[in-house]
Formats: sequence, C-alpha cells, structure tokens
Amino acid sequence: MRISMIAATLAAAALCSAAGPALPVIAIRNATVHTASGPVLEKSTVVVRNGLIEAVGPSVTAPADAWVLEAPSLHVYPGLTDAMSSWGLPAATPPAAGPGAATAPPPPARGPEDRPSNSSWVRAQDLVNPSDRTVTAARNAGFTTAAVFPTAGIFAGQGALVNLAGEKAGQMTVATPLGQYLSLSPRGFTSFPGSLMGVVAYVRQVYLDADAYRAEKAAYAANPRGARRPAYDRALEGVLESPRLLLPAVWAKELVRMTELAAEFKRPTILYGAHDAARVAPYLAKSGAAVLVSLKWPERARDPDPEADEALRILELRENAPAAPAALAKAGVKFAFYAGGVERPADLRAAVKKAIDAGLDREAAVRALTLSAAEIYGVADHTGSIEPGKIANLTITDGALFQTSTKIKFVLIDGVKYEPAPEAPARQQQEEKR
Amino acid sequence: MKRHLVTFLAFCLAITAGPQDTFLIRDVTLHPVSGPDIPLTSVFVEDGIVADVGPKLAVPKGTKVVDGKGLHLYPGMIDSATTLGMAEIGAVRETTDVAELGDFNPQLRALVAVNPSSEHLPVARANGITSAIALPSGGIIAGQAGLMHLDGWTWEDMDIKRSAAMHLRFPTISLQADESMGRRGADTPASFSEGKRRYDETLQKLRIFFEDARRYQKAKAAGGAGFTVDRKLEAMLPVLEGKQPVMVTAGRKRAIADALDFAKRENLKIILAGCREFTPELLKEIKARGVPVILPETLALPLDEDDPYDALFTIPSQLHREGILFAFATFDSSAVRNLPYQAAAAVPFGLEREDALKAVTLNAAKIWGVEDRVGSVDKGKWADLVLADGDLLETKTQIKQMWMRGRSVDLSTRHTKLADKYASRPD
Amino acid sequence: MRRSLCLMLGAVAALSAPAADLVIQNAKILTVTKGRLDGAIHIRDGRIVEVAPKILVPAGAEVLDAAGMYVMPGIVDCHSHIASESINEGSVSVSSMVGIEDVVDPDDISIYRALAGGVTTANILHGSANAIGGKCQVLKMRWGKDAAGLKFAGAKPGIKFALGENPKRRGQQAAFGATTLRYPATRMGVEDVIREAFLDAKRYQAEWKSYRARPAGRVAPRRDLKLEALVDVLEGQRLVHAHCYRADEILMLIRLADEQGFKIKTFQHVLEGYKVAKEIAAHGGGASTFSDWWAYKVEAYDATPYNAAIMHKRGVLVSLNSDSGELMRHLNNEAAKAVKYGRVSEDDALAMVTINAARQMEIDARIGSIEPGKDADLALFDGHPLSNYAKVQKVFIDGQLYFDRQKDLAQRAERSTRRKVLLEKQKKPQDDPGRRGPGRRAE
Repeated sequence: MRISMIAATLAAAALCSAAGPALPVIAIRNATVHTASGPVLEKSTVVVRNGLIEAVGPSVTAPADAWVLEAPSLHVYPGLTDAMSSWGLPAATPPAAGPGAATAPPPPARGPEDRPSNSSWVRAQDLVNPSDRTVTAARNAGFTTAAVFPTAGIFAGQGALVNLAGEKAGQMTVATPLGQYLSLSPRGFTSFPGSLMGVVAYVRQVYLDADAYRAEKAAYAANPRGARRPAYDRALEGVLESPRLLLPAVWAKELVRMTELAAEFKRPTILYGAHDAARVAPYLAKSGAAVLVSLKWPERARDPDPEADEALRILELRENAPAAPAALAKAGVKFAFYAGGVERPADLRAAVKKAIDAGLDREAAVRALTLSAAEIYGVADHTGSIEPGKIANLTITDGALFQTSTKIKFVLIDGVKYEPAPEAPARQQQEEKR
Repeated sequence: MKRHLVTFLAFCLAITAGPQDTFLIRDVTLHPVSGPDIPLTSVFVEDGIVADVGPKLAVPKGTKVVDGKGLHLYPGMIDSATTLGMAEIGAVRETTDVAELGDFNPQLRALVAVNPSSEHLPVARANGITSAIALPSGGIIAGQAGLMHLDGWTWEDMDIKRSAAMHLRFPTISLQADESMGRRGADTPASFSEGKRRYDETLQKLRIFFEDARRYQKAKAAGGAGFTVDRKLEAMLPVLEGKQPVMVTAGRKRAIADALDFAKRENLKIILAGCREFTPELLKEIKARGVPVILPETLALPLDEDDPYDALFTIPSQLHREGILFAFATFDSSAVRNLPYQAAAAVPFGLEREDALKAVTLNAAKIWGVEDRVGSVDKGKWADLVLADGDLLETKTQIKQMWMRGRSVDLSTRHTKLADKYASRPD
Repeated sequence: MRRSLCLMLGAVAALSAPAADLVIQNAKILTVTKGRLDGAIHIRDGRIVEVAPKILVPAGAEVLDAAGMYVMPGIVDCHSHIASESINEGSVSVSSMVGIEDVVDPDDISIYRALAGGVTTANILHGSANAIGGKCQVLKMRWGKDAAGLKFAGAKPGIKFALGENPKRRGQQAAFGATTLRYPATRMGVEDVIREAFLDAKRYQAEWKSYRARPAGRVAPRRDLKLEALVDVLEGQRLVHAHCYRADEILMLIRLADEQGFKIKTFQHVLEGYKVAKEIAAHGGGASTFSDWWAYKVEAYDATPYNAAIMHKRGVLVSLNSDSGELMRHLNNEAAKAVKYGRVSEDDALAMVTINAARQMEIDARIGSIEPGKDADLALFDGHPLSNYAKVQKVFIDGQLYFDRQKDLAQRAERSTRRKVLLEKQKKPQDDPGRRGPGRRAE
C-alpha cells in the first residue's frame, strides 16, 4: 500500500536523523530479559549500538567498546508503549477570543457537508513539543514510546508513534500516520451533529464522501480535459491519508456497534476503551478488530451521594473491567494497553496488576504494553520487542514490572539512557495532605 | 316525622338548595364506602343532603325518582393534589398560576387563582371526581392548598375548605436528573458535599422562618406597643397553633426522613405528600406518629434502574398493610380524570379494591378533615354522588349521572362537545 | 437472522430455552382478529401452529397450564423512544441521514419494563424537532439480546416527520443555546421544507437513475444519506410516521404527499385527526394517537379522548401508542379508554394496541394477533387485559419466555445481594464517615 510505504520511509528518515552523532555502545549484563517476542531470558546480556539493539541472549558477551551496566537483579523490558495518548501534545486550547471574536461564534453546521468538528488532516507529529512536561512524565512512568493523537473534535486527526525523548519533534517520530482518531461527541443540540446518531451518520457520510472523492479525483487525473476539477477537501484528504481509524467503545453494546460501523468502511479499525470487552470477546475475535484497553479502570465517583442507587450494570462494569484483557487474550483478540490518563508510575503498575489479578498472563501483560501496540500499528518489524535490529527502546526495572514495590531504574530511548525522577508519592498520600 | 323536621331545617339553612335537589335513587347497588356494599337499595336526597338509605323508603309524593336498576352509586371522588383551574395549557406560561416567586409565601391561597371556567374542571368531573385540592407549588413554603368542589360559578361557590393545608416543599439533596420532587435545574450541585452544604443552608433558612413565626406569635400574644402585622408570619399562626396541617411534599426516602425529623422538631401536624419511596423503618415511624400520606400516581416508573418494575405499584399496599392512612392524588390538571385508575393500579399488586376506593373517597376526606360532609354515602352528608354502570375504578365504566350537593352535574365537556360537533361532520 | 449475542450477565434473558413444541393449555384466548376462544395454543419453533379448543399435545412438548389466564397477542406500540441512546438530531430541519438503527441501546431497562407490561414490539421513533426527522427502528423486546437481536428482522424501514409547534420552535426562539434562528418558523415553512426536500430527493433519484442506466465510463454520483432515505419514501420502501396535531397541518401533509407522490403511513399523535378523519381515511393513512392526553400545549387543546373512536368509525386504521416508557407498560388499559370514550368494541379496542399497530408498521403478517403462522408473541394476564385489575404474568416472544412474574420476584433477592456485595467492594474509605442516612436524626 502506498500509505504504509510512505510511513515506512518517513520512519526510516526519522531514524537516520535520530542517529545523529555517534552514541555510546551499551551492554546490560546479567539481567532478566523480557523480550516480548520470545521467552524470558535469564542472566542475559543486551547490547545496544547506534540506537539499535545489536544482540541479546545468555551467551552474548559485551563488546570491548561497550559501556557495561551490570544488572544481576534488574529486569529488561522492551520500551513500554502507551498505545494511545497525548503525551507531548499541547493541551487543546479554545481559539483565542480576541475583540470581536466573542460576538462571532462559528455558525451552526447544517449537515455533514459543512465538515463540522473535523480536523482530520492534522498530524500529531506536527504538534509534538519535545519539551512538554508530559514527555518527561511519561518517561518517568517507564514509557519510551507512545502513539499520540490529536483528540479535539469528531475527526480529530492523525496519530503518530513517537519516542519520548529528543530535541526535535522530527527526531522523536517513529511512524506516521497511524490512523484517524474519532470521538463521538455531539456538538450540542443546535449544530450538526447534535446527537449520537447524528455523529454516526456524519462519520458514515464522510467515509462515503471520501471514497467518492477518491474516485472523482482518479477520474479527473486520468482525463482532466473537459471535466470540472473536483474541489479540494482537506477533511477528506485527512481521512484518505489515515491507514486505519480509531473508534471509542467502552460498553459491550458500543464495541458491537462500532465494529459494525467500521465494517461498512472496509478499513482496519481499532476500538479504544473496551472495559466491557469480556462480554463480547469472541465476537471481537471474529471481527478481527484490534482493541486498546484503557488502564483507567472505572471507579466510583469521588464524592457520591451515599443514597444514590448506582445501577448494577455500572457496578458490574467496575468489577469486571480489569478482567477484559484476560478475556481478550483468551479469545485471541489483538489488544494493547493505553494509560488513559493514569500518570503516576505506581498507579500504572497497580492498574496493570489488576488485570493480572483478574487472569491476564504476566508476559501477555508485558506484550500489551510493548509489542502489541507495535503490531496493531504495523511497525512491529522495527520496534516493540527485544530483538536484534530493532530500535533500542528499553525499560529497565529493579523487579518484575507489575509488583507494587518495583521501581523504574532507567529507560533507553533510541539507545540513549534516561533516568527517571524519583517517583511522586502515591495518590492516596497526596490526597491526605491536601 | 323526624325526617320532615330535618327537611324543614335544611330548607331554612340551605337557601341555595331548591326542589331539584330532592330526589330518590331507586334500586341501585350502593357503595357507601363507609360500610359494605348494599345491593338493590335506595337513596333519598333531600335538599342536597343524603337523607335516608334503605330498600323501601317512604318519600313525599311527587319526589323525582331516578331509576338505578343495574347501576352503581358511589360517593364522588376526591383528588388530594391537583392544579385544577390553576393551569390550563401546560406549555403556555400565561395560562399557569401554580408557582409564585420567592421561597416563603405562606400568605398565598391557591383558591383565589382557580379559574372556575377552566375546561379541566368539567373534564375531571365527568369521570366522577367531585372535589380536589388546589395546590400551589413554588419555592419552599408555597402557600395554602384549598379543598374545592369541582363546580360553581365562582371559586367562592366551589370553596369547601380554603385553607386546607400549608404546602411545604421539603428541600432535598439531589444530584440526580430525575428527582421527581426535587428542584433540579442548571445549578445542580457537582458533588454530594456541595449538595449537602446547600441543603443545610436551605434547611437553616426554613428553621429560621419557623423561629421568626414563633417569635411573632409570642409578640402578638404579648400585644406590645411595637407590634406590627407581618402578613407572611401571620399566615403561619394557624400552622403553629396546630389548626392547619402542613402538607409536606417529599419524594425520596431521605427527604421523607428529613421531613419527619423537621416536623418532630417543630412540633408540626403534617401530611406527607408525593412520596415515592419508603423503607420499613420509615413506614413504622409514619404509622407510629399517625402521619397521613398523599400518594402521587401509582402508574409511575421505578426511581432507580434496578428497582423492581412494580416498585411504585406496590407502595399503596405497603402503606395499607402498615395501617397508614393514605389517599391518592394526580398532582396534575389534565389527568385528574384518571385518578380512579391510579387507585385501581394498586389492586393487582396487593391493595384490596375497597381500600383503593377508600383512598379516593373517605380516606381523603378524613385526611382533609371534611369527612362529616363528603367521602361516603351516609345520612347527613352532602349528596356528592356518582351513578355508574359498573365499577367506578374500571376504565370501561360509564358515568351515567352525577350530583354535587344534590345538584345534577352537567357531564358534557369540551371533549364531548368537540366530539359531537365533528362526529356530525357530513361524510 | 443476523448474528445476535446474549449480553446479559444475569439469567434474566431468555428464561426458557426454546422448546421445539410448546402448548399453552386452558387459556382464555383473545385472538383479536378472530374473537375469543377458550382452549389451547400450539407453538412450534417460535411460531403459532394451531389455535383450537383442544390440542393433542405432541410427544416431548412443553405444556403450560394457563388456567384462569387470558392470553392476548403481545402488545405493539407504534410510538416509543425507549432503547435508544439518542432521540433527536435537533440541529437541522431535515435530518433523514440519521437513524435509531445506529444507536439502539440493549441495556435500557425500559425494554424489560415494557416487556413486563406485555409489550413485545415497538416502533422506536426519532424525535419531533425537525420537519423531516430521522429513521425509525422496529424492535422486539428481546431483553438480554444485543442491538441486532432486538431488531425486528424484515420490518420495513420507517422515518419520522413532524409538523406544528415542535419543528418550528427553533425558528421562533433561539432555544437550547442557539445563536441563530432556524428555518422554518411557521406551519407554512414546515410545508416548504418538506416540499423542497422531496424536490431535492427527486433530482437525486434522477441522477442515480441516469447513472445506473449508463454507468460505463462515468463516476458514480456521490451518495447522499439524507436524500437516500427520502428516495426510499418516494419508492414506497420506507414508511412515513408523521407527528402532527392540528387538522390544518394534517390536511397540508396529505395534499403535499399526494402532490409529491408518496404516502403517509401513520399520522402520529394526530389529536385533531377526528376533524379530518374523512381525509385521512381517503389518503389511506393510519392514525396512532394517545388515548386521552390533552392540554399540555396549545396544539393539544382541541384534543378529545373520543378521537380514536371517531377516526375508527370513519374507516381510519387507528392504534393507541405510548410515547412514554411508563405509559407503554399499560397500553392494555389505554385500549380500555377507547371502549369508554366512544364505545369501540372490545376486540377493536385490543386491535388498537396490537394488530392495528402492526399493520401500521407493515408487520401484521408476522405479529399482532393469535393466528397460525404468526410469531408466538404472547402476553398472559391474570385477568381480562381491558380490566385495570389485571396484570401480566408471562410474556413470550418467538415462543420464548422473556418475562415471568414469578421468576422476576424470585430473582429480586439475588440481585439485591449482588448489589450489596459489589457496593461494599467498591466503597472507598472516604465514602464512609459523617453521612446521613434515612431515618437518622439531624443531630
């Protein structure tokens, strides 16, 4: 496919520039290596050269020019990947309200043709700010990589896989575009789409329009003389550029609804949210959709009415959400985790541990935070696991990743070592201080 | 004969009564409500009063006779909370006079805003409802509910008890969208603590208002030179003296519990109203304190998603089992005619038919303190009578004739008139 | 049948596995189309195969003794808004691109509550904020199934229109936070919007016709979901359910539909239908009305509960609908109002909440009466369904038991225990102290 070729080329270009000046050769010795793509290797060495993994295994010896890190009690993981996030992207800000601006709000959209809530052409890698505080925060949490997406609007824009370190945004980009991020939030009652079904109809019309637009452009390109040129439509260009679409779906009914909708578009689809996925895991397996599971498990509201009778189905969702990953794994659905707003390293580990406690295999959990995201986005050939030739993104911990006492020792991103800031106190303690 | 004496006295007293208010309903099945049903009996109405009941009554020669063969005679029904005459067209605010501005308006009287020409009155009447509470409902103390007859040239004609109760809309903590009796708007609190804080503030205001009223009561009794009349506080005196009950609307269990607490603290005689949720403890307390309850529509959705589908259908039978005095109300104007069906709806869910009937007749009269005049077919009571071809609580039943204080009631309505007019449109 | 999933965690859904044969014995059967018959109903593979005074029970058949019970066809509601995650695409005056089919909510407890009121099928309609609204979806109340499992397979699609106060409201006031007024502001404008939309649809139809006649070497026209739904209407493939109140607007729509060459399948609400019953009958339109609602707005002030009876007598196909998740639970009692107001026969009254509604959705070959060949959608009452003292005991859809009062009662304790367990588990420490509960003293 043309689109993915462009992506690969761009990724390669990004790597070349990331290489830059010569990097130290690093050998992590005597560690427990969780490759993600294969078995866990005890007492093994990982050699990193020029930003890439050079070798891994129990019999690998550290090269003479290597900076050797003795790691007898350390665990080496592929760099943790947040499969859907906005790390490093500026917070969506409303347009500046200059004089006069306040008196002229955008006119209400009259239908799909006005392309409301649409910025499908926006690309995440063009928005990444390497010095954004969230880049550091993500790294502190053990993430080396993130699939970042613009999130404002219904067609929010196109995601990019970025490494969470670099001086320039261009150096950070690993792959782009990953896909089109869709939300299903109506624009309010008076502007189209003003309802969930309006949003669905809008999305459907846009994909129909995109296909018609492509055909029209192709016909014009083949024989422009004597034909009226098709009007350029950036909203459709953005949709056509996106190799896949991401649709929100938390509840079983939404997972089914979005799967059926996506099937109409005949494009690879990723469903995100997925807390109720256990109820429809076999169905999802059959549909072939990929799933991103939010690690922000549903919780009770912070200051609830003690007498409000929450519905049993909401209580059940809270109870069962952490079991969704295990069910997906069992059914053979390709899934990955995303932080979903959980920032503190301890909270993240606790969230993954909940999934493990609910039946998810530990190594499957590791894959869901590493290789699976790369596979879902079609970049597993050069990142996501500890294999020779892949990008040297590694997360090194002082214990098994999902034990509460475990700390992130350091991460390697494109072969460069970063040490995390001391972990922030856990949320509970902070609240008490307040 | 004793009866003749009564007749004479009644004639002297009830100058509005005329010869047309004296008649005999013969061979009817009587449902007096105050006692067991009586098949094939007669009812003698003299000057608007039920003068005698029995199978073979001697009546003055020339008395008009209504043949009740195959028909059923009931007392007129009472709707214990309505906006009849106060709200004509729901969506047109110019036609509604239900909710006044301000939190404390005990001086307001619903009856003065009842439009005797409202189309809702004949419509409600035509299905056997003869009396209703007109209920104001703005702010916290909304004003005085009045009990009225659903017929009259003026609201004064209709007046049965113009200050039947003071309406207190009990404040609630509500974070939910559908709290039926709560005052939820755009300013719904974001958290429970915030809601609780606002509730406490409102409750404090309410307490202060009662304190002010008590101080005023003392000042008035003391009769000091500086005493000046305050119309709001003056209106509270019958409440403080226990002469006027407070009708407290509270929908959910917390509000009901809070309302009971408040009433105890302030030593108020209350009628609970609009209640949709009870706990066994609440039922016991309500029973122990002898508080009567006005129930909103039985045919209503459960309050919470997981509640049993029949949660609201079973409330009347729960109250009955506990021995609590209760009556039904529609809290509406256009749907008052369906009051008997709200009562009937509780029957398949455990309430006996006769208790359902009582809750729209005699028990309502008891709650409003007018059981000496209305609510049952008994000697000496007003002849508010409904003659029907079947069970009054069944939808299919047709009302054949009605009397209010012995006066025959016109059963035609805006609805029958429109129907008659267009049914006669040529093909 | 399309794939459907059972989404329920509890055991509420499909209370019985579908036995191949089921015989309901000793029932008072209100067939609606063929009067009352005391006897038995034989169901096989979800369909009624025989209704007779006596039926020989086939070997292996399940038998239900319905002694003392009345069996009527499952109630059909031609106007409901339950089980949908959105109702109104209120932004535009023509919103035919949207449809309830996309947002069916199988978790809506209203489905179960409707079922407990004997409803087995409902027409889920778009709201009335626009002259031409969204597409409708017919659902069976198969509680526990997913959206696909709820959908009435094979039901003809529908669309909502709306006349009068609602669609013109946003032309008269910038409500709901709008900054601009939206055309139309009058009933004249409502007519204009609908005419314009159909003229557009005809142009679109012609464009596609021309393309299909000679596709070679041409790019297909852009598909327009909004106009496609209207082309369906023009081609008789989509039923129009038009919200209306006043006689003038009803007549306007009839004349407009005649002019543009389509039919109005039902007039919804149609509170003044009695004034133009002749014209509605001549158009062949049905009327789906309330039994006795009135006076909630100006256009509902000339309502009369005799409406259904008058229209019925003038030859209009009449159904009584709920438009409410509550009223929906006792449509049988609403039918009794047609007997009260206008003395409609009991069979005709029951038809107004069953077969007539089914006819208005063109699914009467499948449901709406108790006849051989029809889906075994049945409601069992412990009294005559036109009595206020009757309640639903069991409800079957496709021969499967979906509601059983005894089982409902039996499961309550279990559900309540589960709630308590989960609530306790999910409690956070900060939820506990200092909260007032019911009955706790203020001090």
